[in-house]
Amino acid sequence: MSLEFVSANHAAAMAAALAGRANERARGFGGGVYPITPQTECIEWLCQQEFARGEIVRVESEHSAMAVCMGMALAGARTFTASSSNGLAYMTENVFAAALYRLPIVMMAVNRTLGPPWNIWVDHGDTLLLRDSGWVQFYCEDNQEVFDSILLAYRLAEDRRVLLPVLVCQDAFVLSHTMMQTDVPDLETVRRFLPDLDLPHRLGDRPVTVGGLDFPHETEAHRRQHAEAMARVPEVYRECQDRFAAVFGRRPADAVECYRMDDAEVAFLSMATTASTVRAVVDAARGRGVKLGAVRLRMFRPFPEAALRSALAGCRRLGILDRDISLGLGGVLWAEARACAPAGCVVQNYMVGLGGGDVRPRDVDGMLQDLLARDAAGEPRLVEVGS
Amino acid sequence: MDSLVEFRLHGRGGQGGVTCAKILAAAYAAQGKSVQTFGDYAGERSGAPVRAYTRISDAPITNRNKVYEPHHLVVLDHHLLGPDVFAGLRPGGTVLLNTPEPMAAYRGTYESFTLATVDATRIARAHKIGSRAVVIVNTTIAGAFARLHGIPLDLLRQTYKKLGFLGNFAAAEEAYAAVQIRPASQPAGADAAVAAAGLPAVQPLEEHVVGPAPRLRTGNWGTQRPHYVENLAPCNAWCPAGNDVIGFVQSLATGHPGTAAEILGRSTPLAAVCGRVCPAPCMEGCNRREYDGAVQIRALERFVADATPVAARAAPVLPSARRIAIVGGGPAGLSAAYEVAKAGHRVTVFEGERALGGVLRTGIPTYRLPRDVLDREIEGVLALGVELRSGSFLRRDDVARLAREYDAVILATGLQDLRGLEVPGAGLAGVEQGIRFLHRVNLAGPVRLTGHVVVLGGGNTAIDCARSALRAGATRVTVAYRRTRAEMPAIREEVEEAEQEGVVLVEQRQPVACHGAGRVQEVELALVEMGPPDGTGRRRPIVTDRRERIVCDHVLLALGQSADLSLLPEGWTVQDGRVHRAGEALPVFAAGDLATGDGTVTHAIGSGRRAAGLALRALGLDVAVFERPERARSVPATDIRFDHFAPRPPAHGAVLDPWQRRAGFAEVNAGLPDAAEAHRCFSCGHCTRCDTCLVYCPEGIIRREAPGYEVDYSYCKGCGICVEECPRRAMEMSGS
Repeated sequence: MSLEFVSANHAAAMAAALAGRANERARGFGGGVYPITPQTECIEWLCQQEFARGEIVRVESEHSAMAVCMGMALAGARTFTASSSNGLAYMTENVFAAALYRLPIVMMAVNRTLGPPWNIWVDHGDTLLLRDSGWVQFYCEDNQEVFDSILLAYRLAEDRRVLLPVLVCQDAFVLSHTMMQTDVPDLETVRRFLPDLDLPHRLGDRPVTVGGLDFPHETEAHRRQHAEAMARVPEVYRECQDRFAAVFGRRPADAVECYRMDDAEVAFLSMATTASTVRAVVDAARGRGVKLGAVRLRMFRPFPEAALRSALAGCRRLGILDRDISLGLGGVLWAEARACAPAGCVVQNYMVGLGGGDVRPRDVDGMLQDLLARDAAGEPRLVEVGS
Repeated sequence: MDSLVEFRLHGRGGQGGVTCAKILAAAYAAQGKSVQTFGDYAGERSGAPVRAYTRISDAPITNRNKVYEPHHLVVLDHHLLGPDVFAGLRPGGTVLLNTPEPMAAYRGTYESFTLATVDATRIARAHKIGSRAVVIVNTTIAGAFARLHGIPLDLLRQTYKKLGFLGNFAAAEEAYAAVQIRPASQPAGADAAVAAAGLPAVQPLEEHVVGPAPRLRTGNWGTQRPHYVENLAPCNAWCPAGNDVIGFVQSLATGHPGTAAEILGRSTPLAAVCGRVCPAPCMEGCNRREYDGAVQIRALERFVADATPVAARAAPVLPSARRIAIVGGGPAGLSAAYEVAKAGHRVTVFEGERALGGVLRTGIPTYRLPRDVLDREIEGVLALGVELRSGSFLRRDDVARLAREYDAVILATGLQDLRGLEVPGAGLAGVEQGIRFLHRVNLAGPVRLTGHVVVLGGGNTAIDCARSALRAGATRVTVAYRRTRAEMPAIREEVEEAEQEGVVLVEQRQPVACHGAGRVQEVELALVEMGPPDGTGRRRPIVTDRRERIVCDHVLLALGQSADLSLLPEGWTVQDGRVHRAGEALPVFAAGDLATGDGTVTHAIGSGRRAAGLALRALGLDVAVFERPERARSVPATDIRFDHFAPRPPAHGAVLDPWQRRAGFAEVNAGLPDAAEAHRCFSCGHCTRCDTCLVYCPEGIIRREAPGYEVDYSYCKGCGICVEECPRRAMEMSGS
């Protein structure tokens, strides 16, 4: 274990490389990569690495990057790629394919606003575009969580009860380019957490066709299997958390993370780094006697509905902070989570920090005042924070 | 949370501010603090105001917002000072400022906080930190930061080592020592200057703006500016004659052969000669050599001069023309005569041979230099009114007489002392000085030589002897040289052509004896090993006791020549090209090999020019004296952007087949068919108006403006891309 002073982009790359090396005695490691701001640092670092078994392939597009991952994964390798924003949009066809092939690929996505007009700062619209793709999705809050989530994602993805690809998301710049000390374990410790990958349907000596034609009754069966695998994720995730804590001595956050929610009457639900700011506001509001709590959704897919219902059970007012907008509806998180609030709870949607504006405590405070003044929910609100 | 300290760094895109913040954070991380550092991204275009942030704390840091109320500021460009920079600065804070101004310049201002100043830009520039275009100050100012905030220098060194910046640490150390620190002397808030200071605020790029885009005078972002410059081209620096090589080659490239001839004529009357026999130091210096072969400058010079005589046609008529005597009509004397006559003075050339030309006529064979070419260029000199007295060699008392009769005398008698072979048997018949042999070949009509001829030496005389011997009927010719081929002073192409004709070169052989009964029958050679380099950089030959004998019929000596000073009257000595008698400077000057011993036509021309200038100036005339430029000042190949040039091998003119060459003394090389070779010239240090700067400027603020370009400095951010991309180093950055 060593304390490295690195950006979260580099932390993700370091975790992927460790996971890859942990599989060197099996079928190795690889992936296709294509650069895009703000993910570039991550794959640059990875491309400078030498792997005893396998390699990182530099390709001409995101679509091919995922295609390389699928090929390598089918051959039994542990695979990794990273992308962002419009790159993810271009990759989308193969993102779906990776899940439908049931390949345990891990992808790091740096959340960035979709353009045009071009904007390189954080917005969750790019990965939320992929919410129905059949991938597990995590949204991280700090550098260490990015590192830990990559390792954890492999164990979860490769579990035979799951066998699904996992997307680990982090906020553009606020996380990707911020340098902080990060605990980086040694390879032997990582090996204790990540056993060799043994993909049951990996290509071997016997020629097979992968992904041929499904008739309706076969698709019905495949979709049910896929849905059941997704449904098993929360349980397997908890086992992974336990194992992670046993090996590395720290426990990754739950799918739904509560802060001062025990007696909270008012709460904010948010994802990713916004949650850090919300917690600072919670502390300040508690000092003023407001019974405010905070819930962070770490796992967006599968959607942890039961855990969220229980977290919000005592809530009378709920503000849902989206760093995204589903045009014609409102925030995506709000649309999904509002049904988890208890009956009679005022659920108000705030779409804030779109395009990467710095969401400061005073902005959250403004939304708190708005929420406290409401008798009933209104239309989803777009909150502008400026730069 | 009380231990949290926040820094905000203000800089400009390209100064490395984000990395600077990272260095500071790493230094605190090394002290066991929790640290966090990040920058503002995407707005960091060159010159644009950017910010970076560093937090340090004893407790884990959870704040993900930018720093709005910093404890301390670091400002990388003093032009940024203004309300934007000071916004939110907490009482008791410090400001570290990169500024060329001394601390005294800030008297009476910014006194409510601790101010530290350092000229990090100057230090970084002195340490050559940055790209080839722009200076980068981040690693330098971090040294000043360490001093201000009490970070031990040794710990900073460890941080640089870990981050891979150790090469920049000396600059950081200098900044550590140089930073000036002035404690706060006013209470917080008392500082009106803080609110009012600086330039008008530049609108932040990310500000939410409704309506037309703001007019952004980005010119005030720049800390450095590009300028068009003319730098010394290596060909010009390397030409011993002082020809404006790049000038004539570029005139050819732009379709002006007449101008090319006129440019050559400014410095030489012998361009058609040099275009054939010059060893072409310009081509050794040519930066294209490092890419795909030097520009064939010698061949281009010949192309120009064969088409248009280069010599000036007219000289001014001066009422008080001086009379100058020139002794020796070789290249140095001709050059001096040309220079003096061109300036309007009267010249008399004294030549011992019947015709002018010196070694060009007596030494260089006609297959390299046809005599009609030589005659034509000599005519060009004489046509300026130069008087010729030829056919009798002067003696000592003649020289003393000339010094009395003429306003000045220039001695250019060349190298008349031939180095002999001081070994047993050197006096045998059949052993002859190569220069004498060439003299016979060139002036005395057909010469017959038979059997095996051994030439001793490795210079141009040796090769001329060898090839002339073949043409005179020798059945075999061997050149024995005591060093290796790489060290031969002869022109490489001449050696190659000689070998094509059948000349055999044996390297590392030193003559130790000639054997024979009355007439040479064998030459005995000792094998030589190459030792360490001597003072001239050439490897010293070490003669071994291993010997071999070569059966031969003739031995031609080409072992070198030296100046014969016996022409100087008693008590006359040469110092720095001027003749002195008993400490008194006489109006007598030495030129060419007599003065320098460099041994090439081009050196002789340059020396003749210089002697002419010195002579006229000694007579009280206001003339420019030619000085050879410093080669080290010329544009190096590393400053040329090779990727802007398509590869294109050098052009060569047709040459006769070896069997045709051996049949007689016809000219071997036909010369270039056209001037296309001139297009290979990089034009080092000289703008060709190629538009690269204009095309690459990200702001689109370079425009064509005769005779070149103009940069709109009101919008230039000093990004340096034009300078970086200029293919030929005709642009440079300087402080704005």
